[in-house]
Amino acid sequence: MICGVGGQGVVTMSELLGSAAVGDGQRVKGSEILGMAQRGGRVVSSVRIGGRAVAPLTPETACDVMLAAEPSEVLHYLGYLNKDSLVILNMRRLIPYTVVLGESKYPDLETIMNLLSVTGVKVVTLDATRIASDAGNKRTTNMVMLGALFGSGRVPIRVETIKSVISERFGVRVAQLNHKAFDLGYDLAKSAL
Amino acid sequence: MGKSQKLTVSSDSPGSTMYLLGNAAIARGAIEAGVQVVTAYPGTPSSEITETLIEAAAAIPGMYVEWSVNEKVAMEVALGASICGVRSMAIMKSVGVNVAHDPLMTASYMPVKPNSGFVLVDADDPSQWSSQTEQDNRYIAEHAYLPVLEPSTVQEAKDMMKSAFDLSEEFGQMFMLRTVTRISHAHSDVRLGEIKKDKPQGFFERDLQYTCVPEYSRRNRTTMLDRFKKIKEAANDMPWNELSLVGGAKLGVVACGISYAYAIEALRWMGLEDKTSVLKIGTPHPLPERLVRQLLESVGLVLVVEEVEPFVENHVRIIANSAAITTPIHGKDVVPIQFELSVRKVCEAISKVTGVSTPVDFAAIDEAVKEPKALTPSRPPTLCTGCPHRASYYAINRAMRKVKEDLGEHIYTGDIGCYSLAIYPPLDGCDIATCMGSGFGLANGVARASKRPVLGTLGDSTFFHSGMPAMVNAVFNNTRITMVVLDNSATAMTGFQPHPGTGVTAMGEQTTRIDPEDVARACKVPFVAVIDPFEVKHSIEVLEDAIRFEGPALVVSRRPCEIIAASQRRRNGEQIQPYYVDRDVCTKCDLCIDALGCPAILVDGGDIMIDRTECAGCGVCAQICPVKAIKQDGGK
Repeated sequence: MICGVGGQGVVTMSELLGSAAVGDGQRVKGSEILGMAQRGGRVVSSVRIGGRAVAPLTPETACDVMLAAEPSEVLHYLGYLNKDSLVILNMRRLIPYTVVLGESKYPDLETIMNLLSVTGVKVVTLDATRIASDAGNKRTTNMVMLGALFGSGRVPIRVETIKSVISERFGVRVAQLNHKAFDLGYDLAKSAL
Repeated sequence: MGKSQKLTVSSDSPGSTMYLLGNAAIARGAIEAGVQVVTAYPGTPSSEITETLIEAAAAIPGMYVEWSVNEKVAMEVALGASICGVRSMAIMKSVGVNVAHDPLMTASYMPVKPNSGFVLVDADDPSQWSSQTEQDNRYIAEHAYLPVLEPSTVQEAKDMMKSAFDLSEEFGQMFMLRTVTRISHAHSDVRLGEIKKDKPQGFFERDLQYTCVPEYSRRNRTTMLDRFKKIKEAANDMPWNELSLVGGAKLGVVACGISYAYAIEALRWMGLEDKTSVLKIGTPHPLPERLVRQLLESVGLVLVVEEVEPFVENHVRIIANSAAITTPIHGKDVVPIQFELSVRKVCEAISKVTGVSTPVDFAAIDEAVKEPKALTPSRPPTLCTGCPHRASYYAINRAMRKVKEDLGEHIYTGDIGCYSLAIYPPLDGCDIATCMGSGFGLANGVARASKRPVLGTLGDSTFFHSGMPAMVNAVFNNTRITMVVLDNSATAMTGFQPHPGTGVTAMGEQTTRIDPEDVARACKVPFVAVIDPFEVKHSIEVLEDAIRFEGPALVVSRRPCEIIAASQRRRNGEQIQPYYVDRDVCTKCDLCIDALGCPAILVDGGDIMIDRTECAGCGVCAQICPVKAIKQDGGK
């Protein structure tokens, strides 16, 4: 599952992942849940790789890997995790306007980490947004995340395949930038696990 | 997957596999069917079907695609083409079918000629992710004797789309493909089929059965009823319905569309797959009666699994009743009637009727995640930074403040579009809204019952869709209302489709651009003005004049959608100059926060600041700051 906020590339990541899985000859089902409007709302998607999945959305406790593009968002989906799940967490917070207006509160990162540790899942944290900025473009944050997912070794898709899907989608110049970001995320997750 | 040539939805490569969005798969199905005329009005979750076809049109000779001005017109355009001998389809969302209901009813009466397959694609939205109702259009289909195909997977969505054309021609009857959000916005590997390439030239022969005068439409009703009877019988043998009987099974499950996917996974998860007979329904209307009877007679208990209304369930009950079958039937007594279903919800329903426990303790999970969920901040969708609608509503609110003493507290009537988000604080820009065009329509009525100033807003696409008749109504009946067209040059919420005010067609051709203010003047609206909402002071003045005007007044607030503007800037290599708050000048009056609600304006340790990475450089906050504390980088 991939969760985050509208504008973070959750849908793009899901589509790339699904296309790569099909490219590797896998059966795939997936779907996104997003509210109306272009930006700012909660977004979550499922990508279910392998022939046993029939429904497009992952049922409760059946999530193998949760890619969270925003730290507090993962708290919404703890019910989908099990003790063998892996959570890859981008620690960069996106504070919604409701917090600025004082209508809601943002939990501190420690609380989030504590709640995750209670569930017993394995967690890899990274500041994907900083890594992307340092590498040249904040907009490649989702590629760092995707790289981390592959670095975790938990997806049955070849790295060459996802990279060629990225090239196909973005064209050579942007793809180079994206590949670089992907590699940084890949290495980070690989060494963290 | 061929490496050498990029596979697209228009590729003529049967047997290849693509990862497709449900809506793209439906588009592919229409391409495979050799559709020649496609019409649509944008609306979530249907829009990508048309967008995919528009993208593919260049590679598909003889396929015409248009964004019609509204769903009623879309239905008429497609019907007109079908009557002239070409395969045609109209695509719209659930509530869009309400707009098209009038021609739909008559179209279903009319016979479909050979090679003229006529299909309505209806995209329903269980859970109301982006719709004002959770309506189940299978009821509209039933009312119109419209046969319905309903896919359970993305692959089936493609295959059924193609089949709908074939069936339409086989039975001489208009058909409906009903998709739902969880099919339209799901992805799957899809195996492509062959593309029908021969596209006959349309022709017209005068035939009065295509007129609606009672003499002919009475006859049409007779032939329609006759067609429906034949389709009802044939449904038993259509491949979309599948009865899997398990010897000795106690439980029988009837599952329709996407619910079939949930039901299969739920049965597997509960270890009941080999002990349950399942009837998969792909034609909810009409149901395959024989298969339903067979299932009812072979099990001890039937559970009907479907989303939203008990449409299949009620028909199953009728079938059981008329055949005097007493097998207990469960449905909406255990399956929720509201919201999308899920594997979990179906597990719970099966558990209730069988006593078999659910595979995991869902209630315990709910309890465990309650607290963490409550800790997350609320994230209602907001208008983007730099969105011209925010500036428009600010100006409207300020103008209303100025007239309040003389005219009283305002009433705002609203509409469907990104600007629906102005309903939230701090803009509070809408008090009543029902549907497309209601911004102006409701205003007419409110003004008849209330002495307070009434202002209706709607978007540019909505103006052409259904705002115009309500505007004419205000002129005709001399109703004192202020009508504001929020013209951002796009159908923004659904993905920037062109409309009559953009000067471009769906196929990318230049066309006559129609400006709402010209329409208003031609319709003799006595007060017409155009403003740029980023010129805040001027906008407030003009709006105040419009509100004080003693008759119908129309103001066009024109400024392109920021998402379009930003992508244009990127293409041109232009940089925006973000704004910042000069803390030495800022008096923390909070006007920018309390009156604008721009997501780029933050409070940091009591100080107001602007997130430079979010700021779109529109400068509206700088214009409204009473002490001029908001300044632009690069020192202007």
